Amino acid sequence: MRISTAQIFDSGSRGIGRNQVDLYKLQNQLSSGRKNLTPADDPVAAAQALVLTQSKEVSAQFIKNQGDARGKLSVVETQVGAVGDLLQNVREKLVQAGNTTLSNSDRSYIAKELEARFSELLGIANAQDGTGSYLFSGYQGALKPFSVDQSGAQYAGDDGKRLLQVDGSRQMATNVSGNELFQNIRNGNGTFVTSTNGNGTGINKGTGVIDQGSVTNPADWNANHPSKIEIRFSVVAGVTTYSLYKDSDVVPFSSGNNFVSGDPIALEDGSTNYGASVAIEGQPLHDDSFVVKPSTNESIFTTLRSAINTLNKGVGSVASGNSTTQYVNDFAGQLQQIDQALENVNKIRSTVGSNLLELESLGNSGEDLQLQYASSLSALQDLDYAKAISEMAQKQLQLEAAQLSFKQISQLSLFSIL
Amino acid sequence: MSSGLLSIGVSGLAAAQLGLLTTEHNVTNASTPGYTRQRTVQTSLVGIQTGGGTVGQGTDVVTIERMYDKYLSAQVNSSQTKLSETDAYYAQISQIDNLMADPAAGLSPALQEFFKGVQDVAANPSLLSSRQAMISSAETLVSRFQSLDMRLDELNNEVNGRIEDNVGLINSYAKQIAELNQRIVIAESSYGQPANDMLDQRGQLINELNKLIKVTTPSSTNSGLNVFIGSGQPLVIGTQTMEMTATPSTADASRMVIGIKTSAAGASVELPDSLVIGGELGGLVKFRNEVLGSTTNELGRLAASMALTFNAQQALGQDLLGRAGTETGFETEFFSMAALKPTVIANTSNTGTKTISVSFADPSFGGTDGNFYTNLTTSDYLLTKTGAGYTLTRLDDNEQWSGADIPALSGLVSSEGLSISLSSTGAAHVAGDSFLIQPTRNAAENLAVNAVIAADPRTIAAALPFRTTSTASNTGSGAISAGTGAQGFNLSSLATPITFTFVSGSPNTLTYAGGASGSVNYTSGMTISVSGMSFVMTGVPNNGDSFKLERNTAATTDGRNALALGKLQTQNTVAGGSATFQTAFAQTVADIGIKTRELRVVGAAQESALNQAQISRDTLSGVNLDEEAANMIRYQQAYQASAKILDIGSQLFDTLLQLG
Repeated sequence: MRISTAQIFDSGSRGIGRNQVDLYKLQNQLSSGRKNLTPADDPVAAAQALVLTQSKEVSAQFIKNQGDARGKLSVVETQVGAVGDLLQNVREKLVQAGNTTLSNSDRSYIAKELEARFSELLGIANAQDGTGSYLFSGYQGALKPFSVDQSGAQYAGDDGKRLLQVDGSRQMATNVSGNELFQNIRNGNGTFVTSTNGNGTGINKGTGVIDQGSVTNPADWNANHPSKIEIRFSVVAGVTTYSLYKDSDVVPFSSGNNFVSGDPIALEDGSTNYGASVAIEGQPLHDDSFVVKPSTNESIFTTLRSAINTLNKGVGSVASGNSTTQYVNDFAGQLQQIDQALENVNKIRSTVGSNLLELESLGNSGEDLQLQYASSLSALQDLDYAKAISEMAQKQLQLEAAQLSFKQISQLSLFSIL
Repeated sequence: MSSGLLSIGVSGLAAAQLGLLTTEHNVTNASTPGYTRQRTVQTSLVGIQTGGGTVGQGTDVVTIERMYDKYLSAQVNSSQTKLSETDAYYAQISQIDNLMADPAAGLSPALQEFFKGVQDVAANPSLLSSRQAMISSAETLVSRFQSLDMRLDELNNEVNGRIEDNVGLINSYAKQIAELNQRIVIAESSYGQPANDMLDQRGQLINELNKLIKVTTPSSTNSGLNVFIGSGQPLVIGTQTMEMTATPSTADASRMVIGIKTSAAGASVELPDSLVIGGELGGLVKFRNEVLGSTTNELGRLAASMALTFNAQQALGQDLLGRAGTETGFETEFFSMAALKPTVIANTSNTGTKTISVSFADPSFGGTDGNFYTNLTTSDYLLTKTGAGYTLTRLDDNEQWSGADIPALSGLVSSEGLSISLSSTGAAHVAGDSFLIQPTRNAAENLAVNAVIAADPRTIAAALPFRTTSTASNTGSGAISAGTGAQGFNLSSLATPITFTFVSGSPNTLTYAGGASGSVNYTSGMTISVSGMSFVMTGVPNNGDSFKLERNTAATTDGRNALALGKLQTQNTVAGGSATFQTAFAQTVADIGIKTRELRVVGAAQESALNQAQISRDTLSGVNLDEEAANMIRYQQAYQASAKILDIGSQLFDTLLQLG
């Protein structure tokens, strides 16, 4: 085979050029630390890296949101805790005030103290967070949620949940609405509420005190309960009997039942069982009446206000509408209501607590995920230095060999020795 | 006798001299591109028959021939045109590849940053600073879209410029070839000998031409070499050339297309891109058709989908001032749609003057996540008036839709995310009129944040216009969720609150009245949707318990719509709900990367093919200096020997004279 002189030069410089390109690429890889300098080096890895980068960023955003949520929930938790402490204190005062041997002036002192608690509670209910938004007003963060009125306080906020995306498929409420914490507290025993219903136009004359009752069959109650059940006593010739009326009926559905103090009175209408019973202790007089109504929501403020009113009303006589029996009956109801409020606060506290716990575990798994994404990204993008450096040494050797051999061969010319 | 000696000696001297000249010619042209080594073809002169045998009469140089093989040269040319095409293609696409390469400068970081801003608003909807930050990050995203688009636009200009330059070069080469044709014919016919060096020059021009575009040269005729491009369009016929032109396309003035003038005064006829094959021009045209257009469209589709889905979600919300829906002052667009619309280019040779306008269809709603998504494709479309009506062709795959008129056609193509309309004024279209529709070509360029929102961050609709409430006097355990917005939301249905009342029975029902009325059977955990508002009800309500859907007045800390906006990041919003913004972008990057890689591999293979062809040719035609050095010695010695013959002849003559 013959070869042209140009070929010798061409192939020599081509070989050197090729080695230089390889070295240039290696040098770029080494200085940037990236395995793939452009997507063309590994298109699939480039696309994967983009998708992974977003996953990593999104997961980092969730971790940040979790931090936000934790901050907000911690503030809520502190305030809910304060409400709990306050209600505990109120409960102690009420237990103390329940003692019928206290004088009316003692009661008014307690009433004054409760008045201070009332204001304190109102302060908590209208608390603001660091950015000036009200904590317990739902969506209406700029709106002061509670204002005092005659029956307690008026709630102007809503049920709005301030949601944060704390994980791909988890939105967490970072607030508790005023309704949840202060307003929506079931009165009575949670199913129905008992109270005195008066004797004619006045209050009950006897010493009958009604308990909070018990639900014997929730299904029956749910299915059959009327809007109210009245228990009206009749004392004829020393025999105390009671009749049961439902709704606004004037004819009792059950009458002439013998009354024994403290025995449960089953609320039944012939074959229709309302699934509930109450007990009345003491001796009611003729026409004394009690009423059982389905539970509704009562505001803590209303409860506090009624308690203060009861205390201020004091204890007097049947004629003046503030008999001891009435006081005991009213007080039993209010104390029970405070217990319900406490239970509600504890329930919310535990919800907030379990949310905080969930955030913690989400945070942990989020951090793990971050590490995983980072190592996957590194595997896709980062250069294996050991491999690259040894490759560099090899290419260097090749380039030197190419240069040297070119030098030797290019010097071979017949002209130079003729 | 001695005269014979002298004439033989002279013939030897002449032959050796020609040999030396040819050798020197070879040596000096050893590195001339396209040069083919030459050699003298020497034969012995026919001898004289004598009684003593045939006496030789010396030597003669018949011709100086080129060591040329047209098949080897053709191989070099065809390898060269393929490599030039790949090189030009690669040079362009690798610019996009590099553009996409930088993880810090691509679209992805701006996209991530933007959605961080959205999440921040969701976390703190009442803070103006969060809202302002979201707007800033939106503007960063917009400018990133625009700068990427501008870069692609620059590439388009570069392609146009290169096409013009190359066409100029081709014309100049064609003229030179025509001239050489003429000179070669004259030279060869005058002396009857091959015009070696002019043939080389012409061969080199053909090679240069092949670097620009693939040409075919059927065997030469008496009038010279004919050169054809494409599928047989003549470029040079003998001594005549056809002028090639680069003009803006009649279908799309932003693209330079190649044309050819069949006569000097005649109009230029556009060559379809499919006929522009090989060489740098072939590479540029291929790049523009296969990559540049589709990448610009992909980017535009991303921008348009982003704007459409984001706006659709914004429209469901309520701003910080409590405005929503159609209320005065409420902004239904986060990204301004004023300039963001499909481009329609009427073919300049259309007869009818009625205008066609195309707009984006409203995004669809649904999918597994229940989110907005668009059906836009990355293709361009061609709308053609036919005898029977109008036909729309998707240019990527030639899928077609036909309708008797524009409204009928528009109804058919909503699956492409488009809606088409026709102006009432102007002359009616005639069959053959056509419009190029580029839905997303300019979308990235025209993306912009709504100026009103940019100026007043309070207008971001972070809240939803409704909220749910359970009535305080409810006695059951029924609970109502916060609720989410969905397509079809109608603010007017909230003019009065909608009250849901539970009626126990078998089945249990929820009847609702107010701004909207109706009744649904109740089961715990069910999702109830009314007028584009949906919520979940759980628990066991008691008969008569009620729940309310009402206007979300003064809702400064409601971030539900911002949450929904934030979720668009990970929801399938593009390509008919099959890809997220990021995966769609990643797909584009991967497509470019794969194509670039393929070209790199193909280019390397073609380069080695060209090297092989060149080696084959050089093996025959290339100059070897050592060989020439040896020839020089050979001819020198032949010269000296012939001179010696003259010397001896002269001595013989002298001897004879002395005798006399």
